[in-house]
Amino acid sequence: MSTFILNTRAEFLKAKRTSVMWITLIAALFVPVIDFIICLERPDVMTQRMQPGFWLLYLQFVWKNTAAIIVPIYVILITSLIVQIEYRNNTWKQVYASPRRFGDIFFSKLIVINTLVISFFILFSLFFVLSGTAVGMVNNAYHVSDYPIPFAEIMATAARIYLGIIPVMAIQYWLSLRFKNFATPLGIGMGLWISGVVLIDWDKIIYYPYMYAPLVFFSDFGKHPEKLPQLMLNSSVCFLIALLFGAWNIRNLKEKG
Amino acid sequence: MELQSNIIETRNLDFSFHPGVPILKDINLQVPTGSIYGFLGPNGAGKTTTLRLLLGLIKQEQSSIQIFGQDFWPNRIAVLKRIGSLIEQPSLYGHLTGRENLEVFRLSYGCERIRIDEVLAIVGLTDAATKKAKEYSLGMKQRLAIAIALLHEPDLLILDEPTNGLDPNGIIEIRDLLRNLNQEYGTTILISSHLLPEVEKIVTHLGIINEGKLIFQGTLPELQQFKTAALTLAAEVDDPIKATTLLSGNFTVIPTNGQLHISIQNKAQVAEIARIWVQNQINIYQLNLLKSDLEDLFMQIVNN
Repeated sequence: MSTFILNTRAEFLKAKRTSVMWITLIAALFVPVIDFIICLERPDVMTQRMQPGFWLLYLQFVWKNTAAIIVPIYVILITSLIVQIEYRNNTWKQVYASPRRFGDIFFSKLIVINTLVISFFILFSLFFVLSGTAVGMVNNAYHVSDYPIPFAEIMATAARIYLGIIPVMAIQYWLSLRFKNFATPLGIGMGLWISGVVLIDWDKIIYYPYMYAPLVFFSDFGKHPEKLPQLMLNSSVCFLIALLFGAWNIRNLKEKG
Repeated sequence: MELQSNIIETRNLDFSFHPGVPILKDINLQVPTGSIYGFLGPNGAGKTTTLRLLLGLIKQEQSSIQIFGQDFWPNRIAVLKRIGSLIEQPSLYGHLTGRENLEVFRLSYGCERIRIDEVLAIVGLTDAATKKAKEYSLGMKQRLAIAIALLHEPDLLILDEPTNGLDPNGIIEIRDLLRNLNQEYGTTILISSHLLPEVEKIVTHLGIINEGKLIFQGTLPELQQFKTAALTLAAEVDDPIKATTLLSGNFTVIPTNGQLHISIQNKAQVAEIARIWVQNQINIYQLNLLKSDLEDLFMQIVNN
């Protein structure tokens, strides 16, 4: 276990000075900043829309584009970028020639990706609070300070969307390990996501992993309360299958590095 | 270090990426402990594939590869802990500094932090340790890659063409470094190359591979013995035509620059040729055994 921890530290070190940190920051910042500007520029429309209560409505407003677009694209991109560190530097052979178990190599890198994804959700939630607070400070008409910040709802929303996106992370991780060319896993991922957007009204969409994150956000669980556990179950099972299949497949590749 | 005579042994090692297209055929590599073993062959001969098999970069769990007296695949981790390697181009993270590159692999090998300074000093990169690896010259990259291979004080170094692309000074530096590691630390070194003059100067043992087959293995003197068939006798006589006729059938004679170049098997044949000519009234002005350097031998073996 201590070896695994040391190797995971090595994987984090490899990500130092790469664009992944900046992409995480920018992806988390983008929508809260845009929505802050919208609130400032169109108070005639937005003050009405954000009442009553402001925070929960603003949470929905900010997460809408993020869950549908930013989160899937971010996860697809970040997964490819982390794996590309090895391909770009021609270092896979040195990694596989070092005394590390195949599972260790596979899962330590996945921990880096997962940490970045969780960081995105934490940063996004933080920027959401800052964005909402800033809206209230600039324009009193929103009555932001009249309502408490709904931390429990913020965390629950982020956690649900995180659970919805992890199958995509596992699938993209496997694709990124299989294809040396950066564009291939990226292209496949984007293609599957766009296909999901086209198929969003399909009655079997609940079996389509690339749409779990948007579905978790957009589904009306008030009307269909059974859909939330179903989505969470499908997402978790898909994540586990993709992860175990990926680890098995990479372990059994004839040529490594 | 164990006292086994061979640090690496493969038995009847075959490999192919596709059925019916063998890359390696019946390779019986024997690298003696404490040696510098030159693994020679032209491009595409199978050198890199062999080295990748030895490091487990190509998976063939049925192959009979023994390193440190242990079967490789059941003991992969234990064996790799004692091997340092450099396969083809240096594997470095360009966005990290030299020191950070070493730190990445230090964590994987689980060695002390002080080793980073030690290996930097060994390869002469102490002053460049805080520079990003992408800013290094090719020679510096090569040296940093060797520093990574040395981090955990391996008993065995496997280096695939480590002098590739280096200028003459860089080649000399690497050669001196390897010789020093072998002599001072007793590190066994398996080094592949197609740059024969470089290998010739440092190796104690040689393996020559061509088209996937190991066609020679042994020490340098053994190679000289092995290649006596390539010995050439240069003779200057008064009647080259008659002298050639007398030898025809038993020897290959090629007239060259007023001399006769005769392929012989061993030195005893020099006396035999001289006797034939003397008995037939040929005056011999000069007999000279042409010394074959390793490159000649290598080319002759490969082209045979």
